[in-house]
Amino acid sequence: MRTILLALLSLLVASSATAQDDPLKVAFIYVGPVGDYGFSYAHDLGRQALQEHFGDQIETVYVESVPEPEVEPFIDQLVADGADVIFGTSFGFGDGILAAAQRYPDVIFGWGTGIARAPNVLTYMADFYQVYYLNGLIAGALSTSDTLGYVAAFPIPEVKRHIDGFALGAREVNPDAEVQVRWLYSWFDPAGAKEATEALMAAGADVLAFTEDTPTVIQTAAERGHPSFSHYASMVEFSPETVVSGQLVHWDTIYIDIVEKVLDGTYTSTNLEDVDYFWLLEHGAVELGAEPGVPVAPAFIDDLEAVVLDHPEFGEIDVYDLVLRRNAQMTEGREVFDPFAGPLVDRNGNEVYAEGYLPTIDDLVGLEFAVPGVVGPWDNEPE
Amino acid sequence: METALVLSTIARALAFSTPLLWAALGEIVAERSGVVNLGVEGMMILGALTGFIVAQSSGDPWLGLVAAAATGAAAALLHAFFAVILRANQYVSGLALTIFGLGLSGLIGRGWVGRPLRNAMEYVSLPFLVDIPVVGPVLFDHQYALTWWGLIVAVALWFVLQHTRIGLIVRTVGENPAAADAAGVPVLRVRIAAVVFGGVMAGIAGGFLSLAYRPSWGQGMTNGLGWIALAMAIFALWDPLRAIFAALLFGAFFTLSFSLQDRFPPQLLTMMPYLFTILALTLTSLRKGDRSFGAPEALGEPYARGER
Repeated sequence: MRTILLALLSLLVASSATAQDDPLKVAFIYVGPVGDYGFSYAHDLGRQALQEHFGDQIETVYVESVPEPEVEPFIDQLVADGADVIFGTSFGFGDGILAAAQRYPDVIFGWGTGIARAPNVLTYMADFYQVYYLNGLIAGALSTSDTLGYVAAFPIPEVKRHIDGFALGAREVNPDAEVQVRWLYSWFDPAGAKEATEALMAAGADVLAFTEDTPTVIQTAAERGHPSFSHYASMVEFSPETVVSGQLVHWDTIYIDIVEKVLDGTYTSTNLEDVDYFWLLEHGAVELGAEPGVPVAPAFIDDLEAVVLDHPEFGEIDVYDLVLRRNAQMTEGREVFDPFAGPLVDRNGNEVYAEGYLPTIDDLVGLEFAVPGVVGPWDNEPE
Repeated sequence: METALVLSTIARALAFSTPLLWAALGEIVAERSGVVNLGVEGMMILGALTGFIVAQSSGDPWLGLVAAAATGAAAALLHAFFAVILRANQYVSGLALTIFGLGLSGLIGRGWVGRPLRNAMEYVSLPFLVDIPVVGPVLFDHQYALTWWGLIVAVALWFVLQHTRIGLIVRTVGENPAAADAAGVPVLRVRIAAVVFGGVMAGIAGGFLSLAYRPSWGQGMTNGLGWIALAMAIFALWDPLRAIFAALLFGAFFTLSFSLQDRFPPQLLTMMPYLFTILALTLTSLRKGDRSFGAPEALGEPYARGER
């Protein structure tokens, strides 16, 4: 009841924007509150940038804190209010979106982080695995205990890509590095994140990264002066001295591209069956850093420059340079460099990708294995 | 290695269970007077928010804690009004308070998200104790003052409840309000005071979260701790001293679910507190005759003179 009231309230507030002749009405459905400072907050920044980009041509509205199984009545209401395009930002909205899409064949739907499409349903995702790899390079160089800590929400492919990318980066710089993983089995559990971080530090971790929806890891690591990486939104403020870098998302790049193609007629409600955005560094959908434009906090650059490697690809290179080079390579494209490119073995010694094989997006979306250096339980791990 | 694990488990259990202990102690007092308050989660989160706002604005976390306690008291007064004075169903009223608290704090807290508390509570180091070899640095160096105060308050409450006239009055009101009334005890006023005391304690528990444990505000940041505190009050069989034991046990399960994650399925450990609470409930109903084990006789029953 509360969420419905709140949602209706925010709908009223949000839709009292400009009354225009016939702007394209773009609606957003968030799973959390826009004040979560994480997932929904980032999507709402994307919505605001989208509105700014197109000005009077479009009108955006949003509903927040929508429980995943109850998304359909919200869609009904948005359609009744004249929504032309509806973005459901969470994986769990999928069933509701696909069902509603059949009832409203003229409405265009976007399923964020989704896995199934329809003539009027496209899927989109901004993925961090490359950025976590870059964070891993940094972490491997900064750790003196060779133990990195990782607080992770759920053992699902998206999070496994993050951890694997992080471990691959760390091992490229420091072959002895271990990534200790602790699972929360929740996206939001501040006390769990705190105790998981404490447990990791007690196990020797001296650099911390995470995939969950609170800045707890940063604050807890900072109490002992350990460097950490920000996730999703800019979390520098939570500990300016210890946040080294992180992952930033720019959902607006995806939203602007989609809406542009809807406006110019490229995307219609009949031809989206094969439209799947899996956007990366090369598309500008994600960025290395804890705040925009700052890939590595200046205070840590000296430390990274002090670590010089004999690198198989670049020869003698310091880690700061290596991070920037790899970032530039991946910004050029996956075919230039990808941390998951074969040959790759998992931590049980099985070859997962052969020499010269570049995993496809489908491979990555279904990724279940753990790479060498990852320590901790791992649900659904291939034998 | 194992000693280190045991010590760090105790240390983390103490820290994690601090808000649980404060909130559970408050609930124990309220329930001993005969009033169940399922609004603990709501009172906690409101306390966490106002505590954060006042501390952030004033720069003084202890002022924030006072605000958190006052907020908890105000929220509890609502419950007392409905459940004690109007004699509404205690369970419904408390549940409503939790839903109300979570919603209102989310709404008001919007502008306070995304920034850490600028002047958080600091760790205290207990003199002398910290110098004990091995044990001292782990247990007595890296804790908040509220953790130690919680233990002291628990012992004090036990003493008051068991060995003073005030305690006798509170217990009598919870066991047999009609008899207390006949003896001239103002039953409703005692119950209101006990509920408000519970609110103060829940507010402090919430303040601990946003001012010390994780010094920032986030919507829904209590994340169910209020419910665990309720379970703890039952598991402790409404006894403040047993609540210390319950806090350490629940805390140990929680922290071990992370430190032993590579050896045990963590879900097994996180469900233990609830399993233990069910066991405790079973135990109480099996030993109904034994006064030292049972729930307060009039728990959950609104009192009005002349009924029964």
